[in-house]
Amino acid sequence: MSVLLIFTAVAVGTYLLRISGIVLLSNPEKLPPRLRRALGLVAPTAMGAILVNSLFLDEGQWRSFGAWHLAAAVAIGVALWKRSAGWAMSLGAASFALLLVAGL
Amino acid sequence: MSGSSGRAGGAVTRGPVLGIGRLQWADAWSGLKAIAPLMPGSVAFGLAFGALVSATGISPWTGLYASATVVGGASQISAIESVRAGAPAVIAIATALIINARFALYSAALGPVFAAFPRRWKLGLAHLMTDQAAVVALQRADEYPDPVRRRWFVLGAALPFVAVWIAGTAAGVAAGPILPDAWQISFIVPLMFIAVMVPTLRRSEDVVAVGVTGLVVLASRELPFGLNVLVGIVSGIAVGTLWAERADARRRRRGQHVDSVTEAAEHEAGGGL
Repeated sequence: MSVLLIFTAVAVGTYLLRISGIVLLSNPEKLPPRLRRALGLVAPTAMGAILVNSLFLDEGQWRSFGAWHLAAAVAIGVALWKRSAGWAMSLGAASFALLLVAGL
Repeated sequence: MSGSSGRAGGAVTRGPVLGIGRLQWADAWSGLKAIAPLMPGSVAFGLAFGALVSATGISPWTGLYASATVVGGASQISAIESVRAGAPAVIAIATALIINARFALYSAALGPVFAAFPRRWKLGLAHLMTDQAAVVALQRADEYPDPVRRRWFVLGAALPFVAVWIAGTAAGVAAGPILPDAWQISFIVPLMFIAVMVPTLRRSEDVVAVGVTGLVVLASRELPFGLNVLVGIVSGIAVGTLWAERADARRRRRGQHVDSVTEAAEHEAGGGL
């Protein structure tokens, strides 16, 4: 299946998810509690999975220790300290650039 | 409420612009102002996705098509990573849809907000409900009890946000080929997720779920087709849900607040992409 068809299938499925509650649920509290809790964890787990996969692995193998890990550590530290996406992005990118220039 | 009502008083006395009443323009403008602080993040993430499309050799038009039709950055990146890993289409689609399952939670919370809208508006606005637009709609809807004004406010927030997301993708696709390989632009993927996710990790169930997810992703790295990502997400959600049930039970015993569906959606959308 081509990439275009994959995205088409994802688009259709995502739209159905987006209209599900708007069309079917007049009272959101009717959502089963367990389902609500599970859906509430989708965003952090999805982002965590992609983050760990891209940071520590490269095509299924361990990524060599270097600028990626160090700059990510800086970004995590700034994100915890400032609680700001903008600061974490800016200082993480700046530290990554400096590490690359330094030859790491 | 008072600010929007004040503007409305002046707007309603003049004629329509492009067939749309000035009051509706004013409400849409209020929506745009409400979401404007979140737009730089959308542009940056669009750039990252566009650069990834370019780096993987996928047609630029396919990348733009994805951003316009899926409107979900994390799932789009996941689909590309699955394709790069040689995964069958069904795995690429299933992983992306599980990532986008959070939209069902927003949709449940938005049901009452959109209840009085005409069906065509519900169907149209649903497509534009990004994480950020959902937050704005949930938090500001009460300021617009009139459903006509409310829907224009929501449209004013949601449509420009999707537009800058697509524009960011286009810029990333265009800039991708001229960026040297030595810049290792793909580092923007983990960096973006660190920036968006880490500041929002406050509840114990989020930390547990993300921790389990990360460990399972690494432990199952030998799985074919990039399946470790899907297995990690499902494991994290399962363990995190059990943990959340116990945490909510403890909160109830102590007489502490337990999130409603709307509050859960606002919390989730605050850290989503």
